[in-house]
Amino acid sequence: MVSFMPAFAAAKATLILLLAMLSLSGQAAEHFYVDSAIITKLGNGYSLDATLNYPLSPRVIEALENGVPITFLQQFQLTKPFLILGKYPPWDWRETVWSMVATYKLRYHALAEQYILLAVDTRKQRNFPSLDTALNALGKIHAFSLPSGYDIDPTIMTLKIRTELDIYALPTPIRPWALVSNEWQVASPWIAVNWP
Amino acid sequence: MSQIKQLSKSPLPYYTLGGLLLVLAILLGTATQDSSKFNDLFIPIFGLGVLTLLLLIWLLFRSFLRLHRDFKTQKPGSKLTVRLVSVFVILILISTSIVYSFSLHFLHRGINSLFDVKIEQALDNSLELSRTAFGIRIRTLLRQTRMMSGVLSELPVSDFNTSLRDLTELSGAIELSVWTMEGQLVTSSIQNPNIIVPDRPNEAIFRQLRQQEDYISLDPSDNDELQLRAAVLIPKIGLDEDEKMLHVLFPVNEQLNNLGKTVQDAYTNYKEQNYLRKPLISIFTLTLSLIVLLTVLASIWFAIWISRRIVQPLQELAYGTRSVASGNYNTQLTTKGVDEIGFLVNSFNQMTQRLTQARDTAQVNHRLLKQQTNYLGAVLGSLSSGVITLDKELLLKTANIASSTILEINLLSHLEKPFSKLEEKHSQMQEFVEMVTTEVGQKSSWQQQIELYAGLQLQILMCRGTPLPNGAGWVIVFDDITTQIQVQRDAAWGEVARRLAHEIKNPLTPIQLSAERIQFKYLPLVPADQTEQLHKLTNTIIQQVGAMKEMVNDFSNYGKSPSLQLDTISLSTFIHEVLALYQSNTQHKIALLDNINITLKLDSNRFRQVIHNLIKNAIEASEEALMPVIIEISYRIISQTSGNWCELSIRDSGPGIPDDMMSRMFEPYATSKVSGTGLGLAIVKKIIDEHQGSVSTENLNPIGACILIRIPLESTTL
Repeated sequence: MVSFMPAFAAAKATLILLLAMLSLSGQAAEHFYVDSAIITKLGNGYSLDATLNYPLSPRVIEALENGVPITFLQQFQLTKPFLILGKYPPWDWRETVWSMVATYKLRYHALAEQYILLAVDTRKQRNFPSLDTALNALGKIHAFSLPSGYDIDPTIMTLKIRTELDIYALPTPIRPWALVSNEWQVASPWIAVNWP
Repeated sequence: MSQIKQLSKSPLPYYTLGGLLLVLAILLGTATQDSSKFNDLFIPIFGLGVLTLLLLIWLLFRSFLRLHRDFKTQKPGSKLTVRLVSVFVILILISTSIVYSFSLHFLHRGINSLFDVKIEQALDNSLELSRTAFGIRIRTLLRQTRMMSGVLSELPVSDFNTSLRDLTELSGAIELSVWTMEGQLVTSSIQNPNIIVPDRPNEAIFRQLRQQEDYISLDPSDNDELQLRAAVLIPKIGLDEDEKMLHVLFPVNEQLNNLGKTVQDAYTNYKEQNYLRKPLISIFTLTLSLIVLLTVLASIWFAIWISRRIVQPLQELAYGTRSVASGNYNTQLTTKGVDEIGFLVNSFNQMTQRLTQARDTAQVNHRLLKQQTNYLGAVLGSLSSGVITLDKELLLKTANIASSTILEINLLSHLEKPFSKLEEKHSQMQEFVEMVTTEVGQKSSWQQQIELYAGLQLQILMCRGTPLPNGAGWVIVFDDITTQIQVQRDAAWGEVARRLAHEIKNPLTPIQLSAERIQFKYLPLVPADQTEQLHKLTNTIIQQVGAMKEMVNDFSNYGKSPSLQLDTISLSTFIHEVLALYQSNTQHKIALLDNINITLKLDSNRFRQVIHNLIKNAIEASEEALMPVIIEISYRIISQTSGNWCELSIRDSGPGIPDDMMSRMFEPYATSKVSGTGLGLAIVKKIIDEHQGSVSTENLNPIGACILIRIPLESTTL
């Protein structure tokens, strides 16, 4: 005889999941944040030193330890006010002069018991014996040169940085939950960095 | 609000739903063909599914609301629709639940069967085995590194470069480098000639060494090749020297590397899949539930739609039947299809067509009947005879105009009322009603003559009753034969008078002449004493013969019917001329009260006789009763529906007319006087009748009698 219990259990679970999805429930995890960010003038250009903090939620750590690679995005934007008829309007409309996204993929190597941090853009890989050291290394931005091709005017331009977890890079089964769960929605706000 | 209503009535939601379902089907088809595409398509598919679901819920809500409203207002066909929808919904729910349960069961079983505790254990063990295998090598290399650091510790820094090269070759390491604990590169030896400067070891290695612990680890390289990384402190000889670290990268032989990679990949993959199992089941369950829910809702919606479609012709039939019941026989329904319902609709249309034809025929017949009734009414109306019909309950059903005229009551106001009630309002009808009531008791036709008295006027009616077919009542026809009888009577009298005059008048002249001859011839011959007697006797004969002659002349006049010689005369002048003859007797007071000028067309000789007869009659009546002779003559114009009349009244102050004489006043020999022939008033009536007029009498209060003469007045004579 076929048991209908799984069906009922699944229906119940589906209902709960749907409700959860609709109500955006779940424990609110600590968001990523920009700990410090300093711009220093380096000759004619500028360089950025920043520390980003990645307090990972237990759900993310669990996924990581189970072999799910986690992708982190670090976003940089250089903006300036929008000119209308040669004048700056009283409201704060800004146009992006330059922007960049640095993508990092963190995964756990079970055999080596190492956390592997891959800079996707440069294909450069670093290994860390612990998660903390890997996250520290990820959060450390050292002497990041701002592009020299732009006429940077600190009086009107703003450099903003932000970091987030790339949910769309997650495997499909957990992506829908991650989209609606606070434990995965941990992006930091945009932080404007002061000019020297 | 109206826009929403308009939208809800428009087919837009249905097309949208159809489009969404189509897109969903295409996406699902694409997704199932390629699992990587499914990853990308999942969110849009799911979103689209939810959107479709919401649309379906809205459509269903509307449909159910409409169904509920129809059922509550007992709209025709709603009960059948609800019943059909209920059956469909139950069937859909039962079948879909079974399919859903089995699908879920197989889904869970299918996914869970991919994972096994034994496989998991084997993978854990293989990982552990790999680690152990690498561990032996690690320990050997760590010892080797320590030895190399011991060698380096005995050399000055300046010789490091040469020693490192030697050590590299001896140890087979990929890379050897010496770093200060602050992270400064002292020197290095790298096998790969493309790399000039080695990468700085990460901070964790420095941290561990600062804690006086050697570092060794299995390290995946950029291309996932396994390496062994070892770092040890170089023992210090002099106190003033900076602490340094030897960092070595050893290769892993190819076989071990491959084995390690395989184990790592398999383990990570299995672990990841195992971790994703629950969310995967949830996702599949959710997707399946969504699809099942979509299927169920779409099926229910379709069930409602199809139920309505099935019931719609029946609804139209119900509307049509109601329409026919309310009298609209022209109702025609639109035929759809050639099935049984189409046949029913066709039959209904035929029925209404025939009903319309039948109604039209009935209307034509009714019109014809009405025409016939009107025709009959016109015929009856033009009849001089009174015609009434009574039903079997003796209710007055019809009465023509002549019946009201003859009976001088408005019979039309008594229609549909009991015939016997007539006598309650009109006492003069008592005999008539009694006679009719008695006679209709018989079953066969009857004929009766009846005399009615309307006041003092005698009316003779000839009534005939005939039963209507099937005992439906009676038709009673009556004629006023008063005038007819009068005329017959007058004609009989005239004939009598004429013959009498003729028979009597002939011997009267010889008798009178013989008496005069006797008087003339034998008076001188008789003795003187008998002369007077003879004279007296012959005179008596002569006078009586004269009287008889006069009587015979009267008879002769009555019996004659000479044609009228009509002249236009002024009435007042005419009466004055007549009255002038009576002015010699001062005892008589005869006066004409009116002096207005009315001209009439009269036979002046005969009308003069009328006035004479009436005045003479009045004088004689008053004198016989020893009452003063006061006669008032007046005339006036009266207007009636039948025309204008001149009414002449002659009133005396005599004893009046005895009641028993009243009805026979104008008949010959109807007289209350001691003297006279009794033909005066009969002649008056005869002459007035010849003038198309009428004459009547009435007694005045307290004394006196009045004769009323009506002569038709032409409008031109006014």
